[in-house]
Amino acid sequence: MRGQRDEIPPGTLDMLILKTLSRLGEMHGFEIADSIQQASVDVLQVEEGSLYPCLQRMLIKGWLKGEWGKTGENRRARYYSLTVDGRKQLAREMERYERVSQAIARVLQPV
Amino acid sequence: MGIRAWFLACIRRAAAFFERDEQAAALREEMRLHVELRARRLHRQGLGADEAVYAARRQFGNAAWYQGESSEVWGWAMWERFIQDLRHGARALAKSPGFSAIAVATLALGLGINTAVFSIVNAVMLRALPYQQPERLVSLWEENSRPDDTPTFNTKGSPVGTAGTSQRTTVSVANLADYRNSGAFEGLAAFAVTPMNLTAMETPARVTGESVEWNFFSVLGISPQRGRTFLAEEDSPDADPRVIVTHDFWQRRLGGDAGVLERSIVLDAKPYRIVGVLPAGFQSPAQLGSKDPIEFYVPSAFSKDLLASRGDHEVNVLARLRPGVGVKKAQAALSTVSSNLAAQYRANRDTRAVIAPLRDDLVQNVRESLLALLGASGLIVLITCVNVANLLVVRAVGRRHETSVRMALGAGRLRMMWQLVTESILIAAAGCVAGIALGRMLMAVLVAMAPAGTPRISSVTMDWQVFGLSAAIATLTGLIFGMAPAWQASQVKPVEALKSAGRGSGAKSQVRWRSALTVAEVALSLVLLVGAGLLLRSFTTLMGVDLGFQPDHVIAMNVNLPALRYPTPLARLQFFQQLDERVRALPGVQADAYANRMPLRGGWGSGIALDGNPDLRATPDFQAVSPGYFETLGIPLLRGRSLTAQDGNGQMPVAVVNQEFAREMLHGGDPIGHFMQRAPTAPRITIVGVVNDIRRAGKTDKINPEVYLCAAQTTLYPVSLADLAVRTAGDPRQLVNAISRQVWQIDKDQPVTNVRTMDEIIDLSVSQRRFQTLLLAVFASVAVGLAIVGIYSVLAFSVSQRTSELGIRIALGAAPRSIFGLVLRQAGTLIAAGMAIGLAGALALTRVLQDLLFQVKTTDWQAYAGAIALLSAVALAAAFIPARRGARVNPIVALRDE
Repeated sequence: MRGQRDEIPPGTLDMLILKTLSRLGEMHGFEIADSIQQASVDVLQVEEGSLYPCLQRMLIKGWLKGEWGKTGENRRARYYSLTVDGRKQLAREMERYERVSQAIARVLQPV
Repeated sequence: MGIRAWFLACIRRAAAFFERDEQAAALREEMRLHVELRARRLHRQGLGADEAVYAARRQFGNAAWYQGESSEVWGWAMWERFIQDLRHGARALAKSPGFSAIAVATLALGLGINTAVFSIVNAVMLRALPYQQPERLVSLWEENSRPDDTPTFNTKGSPVGTAGTSQRTTVSVANLADYRNSGAFEGLAAFAVTPMNLTAMETPARVTGESVEWNFFSVLGISPQRGRTFLAEEDSPDADPRVIVTHDFWQRRLGGDAGVLERSIVLDAKPYRIVGVLPAGFQSPAQLGSKDPIEFYVPSAFSKDLLASRGDHEVNVLARLRPGVGVKKAQAALSTVSSNLAAQYRANRDTRAVIAPLRDDLVQNVRESLLALLGASGLIVLITCVNVANLLVVRAVGRRHETSVRMALGAGRLRMMWQLVTESILIAAAGCVAGIALGRMLMAVLVAMAPAGTPRISSVTMDWQVFGLSAAIATLTGLIFGMAPAWQASQVKPVEALKSAGRGSGAKSQVRWRSALTVAEVALSLVLLVGAGLLLRSFTTLMGVDLGFQPDHVIAMNVNLPALRYPTPLARLQFFQQLDERVRALPGVQADAYANRMPLRGGWGSGIALDGNPDLRATPDFQAVSPGYFETLGIPLLRGRSLTAQDGNGQMPVAVVNQEFAREMLHGGDPIGHFMQRAPTAPRITIVGVVNDIRRAGKTDKINPEVYLCAAQTTLYPVSLADLAVRTAGDPRQLVNAISRQVWQIDKDQPVTNVRTMDEIIDLSVSQRRFQTLLLAVFASVAVGLAIVGIYSVLAFSVSQRTSELGIRIALGAAPRSIFGLVLRQAGTLIAAGMAIGLAGALALTRVLQDLLFQVKTTDWQAYAGAIALLSAVALAAAFIPARRGARVNPIVALRDE
């Protein structure tokens, strides 16, 4: 049995994808989903399909670029990678996340 | 997001839009790969193959939904849906071509007719005249009121400026100075159309011009493009002749010569120096109602005699009101002047000056007719809206089943509405395109058919504002009426609607709606039909009017002898006497005559006193005619003798009068032996004969007293002999060349113009009424056609909705005849209700036709009965097919469907 699974907090999926890509470079959709799950030790639960609208949005915004390539098994797949804008965006989101989570932590910590 | 990023995002979005199919396919492929990879992973972790695929799918979620979400992201959704709806709509419309064709045709008819008619009304009546501050321009004329006359008379039906034939006359030149000094006008100028022979160019031509007072152009507020207008001193009989030409004359006849102001042209054998060229497109008020262009302007140069003669009504007058002076105030000032003149001069005793805004005066002959047309086209638009609404309601109700199926499958209510709206938009768009085409065609036809003399008819252009407005109204109506049932349908619980399997004929309220629309349609059509019927009755009455002479086999032509070559009345008489002899000798000629004017071609009137008694006064029509006149025109001599070749200048002045003259002057007594005088000192003219009454100005004219002078007694009349008429055995047109040759053998430079058979002339004189009648008849037919469509569609639909009910009735023993009757009764109720409302509407609305009708009352029962009979017949015929279909319902089939 796996441990407790939680929904990804809203608005953070973008950040998770950006971070994953910045760590691991070019990946296709399944790899991204898989590595997010593995990195979170399967705690963060997401309907895998929800990844795709996110990816599309980030393509439009120019944070990602997608290039078609072949997988190890010679299957056609779209490989996503970060653009310069994407890196900046990741930095912004991380900073914001830090700020917010520290604030939350301060509220929750007993003084 | 910075601007650059936003911009790039837009480009990416647009690029994605154009490859949206590829994009969607790519996304599908990615997702399929994802699920596959996940399944393989799960399989490797120990799940069964099928179970792994199932788990992978579950973990992925609803792929179709995510696909949709992704498309949303790209921003295609709106477009996609719109295009999908358009496609769906087009398919749905194509599936019911009958409905689509009728809806589009209905819209096109309504829009086309309305736009065409309004474009014409706008150009003819509403658009400001092309002069400076045109609202201050008025037209001035004189009215001749005999004290014993009732004040109600109709100025329509006879052309303005034909003295004597109507109460309205042209203005006496001698009175101009008094009117000028009334204080009401900033400027006042006389003008008269003056055709002249233009020679010393490549080919001699008869060209229409206008003689105008020197200040004519400044009253209009027009300055020439080149040169100048006339100087006051040039407007005198002693001054050297000057001419101002139009831009078109300069370009066409003078080749746009830059030195135009140094040139002269020869008019009626006299050289005229060109002093100015008018701006392109300038049209004199007289030209606005005529098809012949006015090409030049010469000074009026009134003679001393004319300036002294108060009784000679020779010119048209236009004036510019002083700023701040209204028409009423100006009229009051003018009336004071008129009464002073009446007290002062005998010739002015019954004369009164009248003004009206120039624009109103120009359109006075066509005003009522255009307003009636406008009203009729308005009714057509109403019927169009009703019909389109009706069709859409029927259609939307018929699709309740489809609507509920789609809603049961998860379609949103708004989406369903939007789908219906899209269809309406498609129909509206197609209707607009067809409407534009039809409107243009119709406009061209109307302009071509419009009676000559309709002001500014040549400047008609498609009125896009009106088109847009009527298109918007029709579309909106369609939308609203189409949406109402859609809205109701979308509120229906899908389960219930599905249970009844679309067999219900819709809610009670919808049935009522459709019935109301049909009733409205019948009512509107009846109004139009009654209007058309009244005009038709009026027209046939008019055609039946006896003119008092026989116009068949008579041809008339104009031989205008220029004053320079034929300076005296005697010279002109000699020309015509020669011509008379030559023409009479032609084979096929039965009789011929010359006169100052033939009937329906204008004329002259003059005041007289009978037997030297100043109390026995009248203003009869006058003409100077040759002895053959009565025979040529077929006017029977009733008493006494006709004019003969022996009546000449040295002999006793004689005249022939008509019966009306005797009735009016002598209470029906025998006029022979009585004498008349045009002035107290003028020669006594003895009456020697009485001829039949004629309507000289045409069929709508009343019978006036007429005096026929002998053309050979040239000292008795001030007008010029100018018209020739020939009665022939065969087709008179075949003799035109032979007659013209006789003219040219006497004088090779003499143009023969205005050649028309008498029948043609009469035909032209009723052309306006024919135009009105024809148009209203066409409009009424369109309305009836639309009503038929409306009635048919409602009944056909209702029968198809009631198939099972009718089947049960038949199964229970109802005879097909009683079913037939049932449906017809339903139709009959609607038709009868529509008729009742329409009748009330017609009684109220046709009152506006009063002025257009000739000797027919607006309550003429025959027109009403005819309209009712016709509409009932066609409406019942429209009901016949659905009724028969209802009667032939096969109960077994109908019940099995249940």
